[in-house]
Amino acid sequence: MAQADRRESTNNPARVAVTAAGVISPLGFGLAETLESLRNARDCVTPMMRFSVTQCRCKTAGQVSDARLLASHAQIPRSGRLHRASHMMIQVLQELMTQQPEFEPELMVIGTTSGGMSYGERYYRSLSGGGDLRHAPTWIANYPAQKPVIDAQSVFGISAPCHVIANACASGTNAVGHAFECVRSGRYQRVLAGGYDALAEMVFVGFDSLQASTPEKCRPFDRHRTGMVLGEGAAVLALENLDVARERGAPVLAEMIGYGISTDNFHITQPEPSGIGARQAMERALESADICAGDVDYINAHGTATVFNDAAEGKAISALFNRVPVSSTKSMMGHSLGAAGAIEAVVCLLALQHQFLPANVNFTTPDDDVDLNIVANEARSAVVNTALSNSFGFGGTNASVLMRKYPRLSGRSQTGDE
Amino acid sequence: MSLAIAGMGWITPLGSGVNSVWEQLLQGEEASATTISEQFADRLYSVFRIPESAIKGISHPRLRRASAISRFAAAAGLHALESAGLKLEPRNAERIALIFAISNGGVSYTKRFYHEIVGTGAQAASPLLFPETVFNAPASHLAAILGVTGATYTLVGDGAVGLAAITMAEELMVNEALDYCLVVGAEEIDWLLCDAYRRWRLLRMAPPIEPFSNQNRGMILSEGAGAIVLARDGFVTIERAHPGGHFRRRADAEEILKRILRDLSRTEIDFVISSANGTFVDRAESQALAEIVPNALVYTVKPAFGEGVGTAGLWQIILAAQALHSKELPPVLHANHSVPLRLPLSRTPIPSARRAIVLSCGLNQQAAGVRLAIH
Repeated sequence: MAQADRRESTNNPARVAVTAAGVISPLGFGLAETLESLRNARDCVTPMMRFSVTQCRCKTAGQVSDARLLASHAQIPRSGRLHRASHMMIQVLQELMTQQPEFEPELMVIGTTSGGMSYGERYYRSLSGGGDLRHAPTWIANYPAQKPVIDAQSVFGISAPCHVIANACASGTNAVGHAFECVRSGRYQRVLAGGYDALAEMVFVGFDSLQASTPEKCRPFDRHRTGMVLGEGAAVLALENLDVARERGAPVLAEMIGYGISTDNFHITQPEPSGIGARQAMERALESADICAGDVDYINAHGTATVFNDAAEGKAISALFNRVPVSSTKSMMGHSLGAAGAIEAVVCLLALQHQFLPANVNFTTPDDDVDLNIVANEARSAVVNTALSNSFGFGGTNASVLMRKYPRLSGRSQTGDE
Repeated sequence: MSLAIAGMGWITPLGSGVNSVWEQLLQGEEASATTISEQFADRLYSVFRIPESAIKGISHPRLRRASAISRFAAAAGLHALESAGLKLEPRNAERIALIFAISNGGVSYTKRFYHEIVGTGAQAASPLLFPETVFNAPASHLAAILGVTGATYTLVGDGAVGLAAITMAEELMVNEALDYCLVVGAEEIDWLLCDAYRRWRLLRMAPPIEPFSNQNRGMILSEGAGAIVLARDGFVTIERAHPGGHFRRRADAEEILKRILRDLSRTEIDFVISSANGTFVDRAESQALAEIVPNALVYTVKPAFGEGVGTAGLWQIILAAQALHSKELPPVLHANHSVPLRLPLSRTPIPSARRAIVLSCGLNQQAAGVRLAIH
């Protein structure tokens, strides 16, 4: 903290590097598998296996393999007691720390919506049904939202304070965005940002009760879209003062350049129909990055495939951007709620690193009401210098982050470059 | 960077209104416990609830179906803005950020929602209840009621989350596009929470909470809200926020508390608002306080209010600000007199008090601290 106070400055904002990342999702374990799934436009949504969905409209989800997840952490003391969300956080932090073993975060900012919800469900079912409560203390101890973060920190000897942000489906992007602001302001030099969420019956049924989830394929921005499917996963990104990263010879994977947040106050579950909240978040991200809409090469949309979200987001994107390629990668892996923004930031990172546009799968028919340039069904190669990632959540919370390739490709003249 | 407290709102088991609650604390009053039951269990728990009068007159279309936590938060937030003389209008709605600190959140509606699923099946799940189960529902209602259109964050954690929210406010206020930050902590009680904390061996079945006792008899849960408006100028400042960290085992709590106290006590400290609540926290805090700030007076409000978890940190901040302002500390109730700390056992004048530390050791492995000063 003492160091941080000396560094604090708003007049000369620091540039922010992404120096490492870790990801787990239905697309795969780690960056390499995720990249392969994205390049192949693989639809990783499968029939739900974790709990009974016989009474739900929706029968599918994007799921992370338990067998593989738990097997990889068998050596961790008491790993059998940890929640799946803890295992996911450990997995992604392990991948990140393998890339950057010297990265010592001063702060962690992690998004989630559900914490260890399935342990809460077990506790309640046992309690109300007269079941076996011998394991109740373990369930209760592993239920809090901060526990998976602390578990992961403990495995890697990290003692940094942590902000756990629960801004519904925008949590992950809010976490990445706030972490970015923390480094850019000079208050911190190294921050770990990310998000996690594990599938839980209560949440699954909740979205089903709202008829927000679909019994069909997830088709973001399609004229015949019928709703979302849920997913799960986790992702973390190491954000670091770019000058400090370069001084220590750390590889800079990309540059985080902007963040926008807005609250539209329209409805507890529905976005403002004109898309004003989404638009404000994107505008503020552009303003924060000091770039114009024409500089953006790819938009990873929130794109849940609900009628209302996609209409509002589509209007906001088409009002601001001129036919920029757009995809919702939730079509491939489902909506992982608090993890989504962090996973999608990693998707943008991979798009920038490998110069391609991830696909919006299951897309058959353009929606006449939204004029978007959808990356339909197949990933394609493209020059991608700047990518925008959107997340919008219940309660009218909207967030956007902007990332840029590092070093930037030649041929696009902007100020303040390397 | 230091921020100043421009306004405060207090919804507590002793009622609402900063001055009224403060006067009761100075008189040595404590909230009355009530019992709480559950249809599928025989066990009763003692809790400190919010009197209906404390949230009287708070109405808004958004609150029609909202849970108790949202009502408490709305009342505290509105009181804080009013005491700051701040009226949000479209022209300044982006220039205030809202940070909402919670631990358990809207647990009553969450239980009701899941109860229907367990009892009747997924087809019985209520689409009206589900949105209220989401952690950020209370913040969303409050933002809508106040008209906040800029940054809104819900932070989740244990009893230390309120102080983490102060750190986050500092991080946000670096941005000069913001003039104010409204920090709110809120919590509601449900039987389920009491049962969970009992199984975790942190709850006692009936009052009083006995702080710094040798026997860790446990705490009593309470509910309510606290809100402060942070600005750039004012008499009572948040001079330093220490973001703290986590402890892996309860036995490790003392070390992190010492680290926080060492950092915050580089200047003379007159008193500490502790988070002692009758659990393992007390021993960790008393050892850390006795070693690092042996001359400071130590006060805890939890015997009077109960353990407010997500709202506790904001309650402590308000207490510290009131004590600095009024130059008095209320008596610590039901305390172990033999503990090697300077506890104010009766209403105690502190005429020269300039600086205070608010210390929070949560029940779920998090700890943080804040130093306040009066100018």
